[in-house]
Amino acid sequence: MTRPLLQVKGLTKRFKEREVVKGISFSVAEGSCAALLGPNGAGKTTTISMLAGLLQPSGGSIELLVNGSPVPDRRPYIGYLPQTPVFYPWMTGKEFLLYAGELAGLKSREAALETAEWLEDVGLKDAGKRKIGGYSGGMKQRLGLAQALIHRPKLLILDEPVSALDPSGRKDVLSLLQRIRQETTVLFSTHVLHDAEEICDEILMIREGEIALAGSLDHIRRTYSEPVIRLEVGGDEASRAWLAAVGSKDFVSQAETSGGRAKLTVTDVELASLALMADAVAHRVMIRSLEAGQSTLEDLFLKVVQS
Amino acid sequence: MQFRLFFRKEMLEMGRSYKWLWVPLVFLMLGVMQPIVTRFMPEILKSAGNMPKGMTISIEPPSGAEVLAQTLGQYSSVGLLILVLSFMTIISGERQSGVSQMIFSKPVSYGSYTAAKWASMLSLITVSFALGYAGAWYYTVQMIGSVDAGAAVKAGLFYLLWLWFAGSLTLFMSSLINPAAGIAFVSLGAALLLSMASGWLPRYTAWSPGSLPQISAEWLQSSGEAKGAAGAAVLCLVCMAILFTGTIYQVKLKKSKI
Repeated sequence: MTRPLLQVKGLTKRFKEREVVKGISFSVAEGSCAALLGPNGAGKTTTISMLAGLLQPSGGSIELLVNGSPVPDRRPYIGYLPQTPVFYPWMTGKEFLLYAGELAGLKSREAALETAEWLEDVGLKDAGKRKIGGYSGGMKQRLGLAQALIHRPKLLILDEPVSALDPSGRKDVLSLLQRIRQETTVLFSTHVLHDAEEICDEILMIREGEIALAGSLDHIRRTYSEPVIRLEVGGDEASRAWLAAVGSKDFVSQAETSGGRAKLTVTDVELASLALMADAVAHRVMIRSLEAGQSTLEDLFLKVVQS
Repeated sequence: MQFRLFFRKEMLEMGRSYKWLWVPLVFLMLGVMQPIVTRFMPEILKSAGNMPKGMTISIEPPSGAEVLAQTLGQYSSVGLLILVLSFMTIISGERQSGVSQMIFSKPVSYGSYTAAKWASMLSLITVSFALGYAGAWYYTVQMIGSVDAGAAVKAGLFYLLWLWFAGSLTLFMSSLINPAAGIAFVSLGAALLLSMASGWLPRYTAWSPGSLPQISAEWLQSSGEAKGAAGAAVLCLVCMAILFTGTIYQVKLKKSKI
C-alpha cells in the first residue's frame, strides 16, 4: 500500500504580485493519512483549494493516480470539506446529503441508501429531519464530512476540520476521522499539532508557501527529536541565578530560561540530569521539578516556523 | 441529468423562500391596479376633498389599449426592480456564502448549473408576468373597454422577451461580481439606459432589446405593424444567448470567493 495516490509537482499560486504557494512538490501514498501543517497564512487553504479543483494553479501539476494511471478529472474521486462548511439553511440535513450524493453521480436509490447510512454514522439520524439553519457548528462539520464521503471517494481532503470546534465536537470529528482513515486516504490541513499527531502518519510542514519539512511522523520524530530537560526551581534570588548559570555548562547545547523555568537541550539526558542535580545540591538550590525527555513535535514546529 | 437535479433544487428554494408566492402576487397587483385606478380616477379626485368649489374635472376616458400599455409601463419600473432585486444574488449568493465550494468540488457540469438557474428564473418571470398581464387585461376589459386580442398577445410576448433579457442580464452580473448592491445597480442601470436610449436615439437603436417595451406599447396603441419588431426580437434572443454563455464561463472561472 505504498503506491502514490496524489502527486503534486511544482504547484504555484500567484495572486497578482504576491506568490502564496511557491512551487511545492509532494506525494500522498494510498491508504495513508497526511497532515498539512503550518501557521496561519502559510498557504494551506490555497493549496487545499487547488487540490480540490476550486482554484486554478498558476503553475505546476496535480495528478491523482487511480489504479496507477492519472485521471483527467479528479473530482469524482475526491471528497472535500471546506474550512467552514456552509449549507443551504432551508434544506434539511437529509435533503442536503441526498442532493450531494446525486450531484456526485449516485443513482437516486443509491443516494438514499448512502444518506441513511451516513446520517447514522455521523450521529445525525434524528437531526437529519430538521433544517440545517438550526444546526450547531459541530453538527455542520459532521454533516460536511458525510457529504464529502457520500460517494466513497479515494481521497478525502479536509481544510482545518477541527480548528473551529469545541473540545467535545473535536473529539467527535477526530474519532470519525480515525474510523474513516481505515478505508480512505486522508489529507487534511491544520495548525493544531496535537490533531496531526493523533491521526496522521505523514507530515508536510509548510511555511510561507514552501515545504519546510516532509516525511513520516516516525521518521521526523526520530530524526529531529533532541534530548531535553525541563527544569523548574524556586523563586528566590539564588535559585534564579543558579538557573541562569546552568545554561552555560558544557553539556547544555541550548537553553531557554523564563522566570523560574528552563528548557535545556542537552547532549545526554542521563549524564546531564545527574550533573544538574548534584550541582543543585552543591549550591543548596531547591529543584521543584525536573523532567527528562525528548523534544516534542511542537518544539520542532516552532523551530521550523520561526527559523 | 444534473440539470434536473439543479432545477429541482432551484424550484424548491424559490418555493421555500416564498418567491413563488410574492413575486407573482406583486405582478398581479401591479397589473390589476392600473385599470382600477384609471376607472375610479374621477371618484378618487372628487373624494380628495381639497378641490376648490365649483371646479370640474373632465377626464377623457382612455381606451382599453392605452390602459394596458400603461400597465406595461408599470412593469418597466416597479416590475423590473422587483425582478432584479429577487434574482440579484442567485449566483453570487452561493459563492459568497461558501456553498459553491462544496458543490463545485463534486463532478458537476457548470453548464447544467447555470442552465438550471436560468431556466428557473425564466419560469418565475414568465408565470408572474403572465398572471399579472392576464389580470390587467381582464380588469381592463371589464372596466374600461375591449382590447384587440391579437395585439394584446403580441405585445405581451414582446414585453416578456424584454423581461427575459433583463433577467439574463441580472444573472450574468451575478456571476461576474459579488456585491449585491453592485449587481442590482449595474443590471437596473443597463436596462434603464437601454430602454431610454431607444427613446432618444430611435434611429440607432431600432433593433436594440431596449426598444422591446416601446414596440409592445406601439402594438397596443396603433394597431399597425411596429417597425423593427422581428429584428429586435432576434437580436434580444442573440443577446440572451451571449449573456448565458458568458455566465457559464464566469461560473467556471469563479468557483469560490478565495
